[in-house]
Amino acid sequence: MRHTILLAAALSALAFGAVAQAEDPFADAVEMRHGLMLQMATDMGKLGSMAKGEAVYDAAIASRSAENVAAIASVLSMDQFPAGSEYKAAADSFALPAIWATPDDFMAKITDLNTAAAALKVASATDVEGLKAGMGQVGAACSACHKAYRQPED
Amino acid sequence: MRILRWLVAVGVIGAGGLWVLARPAPLAASAVEGLSGDITRGEAVFWAAGCASCHMAEKAEGDAELVLKGGQRFASEFGTFLAPNISQDAEHGIGTWSALDLANAITRGVSPEGEHLYPALPYASYAKMQMQDVVDLYAFMQTLPADPTPSQPHEIGFPFSQRAAVGVWKLMFVNTDWALPGNLTPTADRGRYIAEALAHCGECHTPRNALGALDTARWLAGAPNPSGDGKIPNITPAKLTWSAADIVQYLTTGFTPEYDSVGGHMAHVVENMARLPESDRQAVAEYLKAVPAAE
Repeated sequence: MRHTILLAAALSALAFGAVAQAEDPFADAVEMRHGLMLQMATDMGKLGSMAKGEAVYDAAIASRSAENVAAIASVLSMDQFPAGSEYKAAADSFALPAIWATPDDFMAKITDLNTAAAALKVASATDVEGLKAGMGQVGAACSACHKAYRQPED
Repeated sequence: MRILRWLVAVGVIGAGGLWVLARPAPLAASAVEGLSGDITRGEAVFWAAGCASCHMAEKAEGDAELVLKGGQRFASEFGTFLAPNISQDAEHGIGTWSALDLANAITRGVSPEGEHLYPALPYASYAKMQMQDVVDLYAFMQTLPADPTPSQPHEIGFPFSQRAAVGVWKLMFVNTDWALPGNLTPTADRGRYIAEALAHCGECHTPRNALGALDTARWLAGAPNPSGDGKIPNITPAKLTWSAADIVQYLTTGFTPEYDSVGGHMAHVVENMARLPESDRQAVAEYLKAVPAAE
């Protein structure tokens, strides 16, 4: 009887282990990078509505959002992109395998984003024309990386 | 029996007639006469027409985008097309071409040797280009570097490997009619010229028929991505509900109204559009608003 209980416990422990193993090991990484991108999008949205003329230009709000964009850019690194967390291998991931094939180029593009975000911080505090120009640079940095390293959604 | 003989005769004459009609039809030699090219305007045509996006090396960035050495691969149902070298190299590029040669290639799909070119080169769109723009483009392209990389052959099987078949395809599908016909506002008219003649939006955003021609009845209504995964979106007002300001911002910065950013081949298009004057992006936005909604 005791043996049976032990065996059952051992089996259930094994089964639990298997379940734990089957859980997506990259869920945190994918969620983390999506969260960073979402915050970035929120701040770009505040800047963009001023650029489009939908909101009145406000230097304080613009600066604050530009600072957030720069802060998020400074956090981006391979830490959020563990090997194996690519499109089709990890749930919800759109990260292309090219990231791990050419990590130096990937990081160079993140450096470009940091440069553009620093310029946006300065430009967005001046006037709406500066903000527009700064957004163009950041947008180019975003899409340079997404073009090479992100699977387009359907 | 006599009727059969007649039918055969008519068939032979018909086939002969088709053969004559489907021969490469270059422009008259006078087509570019009296026009002189402007390099600055030509550069705008070059970006609007997206030449570099396909003819630069895969993943080229910065100045390397102006080295039109070719080599990018374009998969299709008919086989894989390899973009040729169109740099100024005399042997492997188009360094010896005249302005008329360029005009024939891009608006008629005819090479200087008088052969049909495959419509992977979007001459079904460029056919609508103004000759002045072609001559300006020629002037700009002559300022670009030469690169000695030989062009690679296309990877296509029979019967598509027979260039004569392209002639029949052209007879059926290449014309200079606007997909969005009629009188438009001056801004939308400019947008139509950019979208339909230069930027060739329809080549990816419009579904194709069994023969690979654009289904103009479903203009810009979205299509499968020939490169495999994913779908190229419907950009008619049925699905593209962005404001004109949203469209302009997208074509300027690559940001969608949700501040996602452009990726894939469209990122090249945005890069190109961002180099044009803002008025041109506004023109494209107004044109897209005028296109009939198609589900």
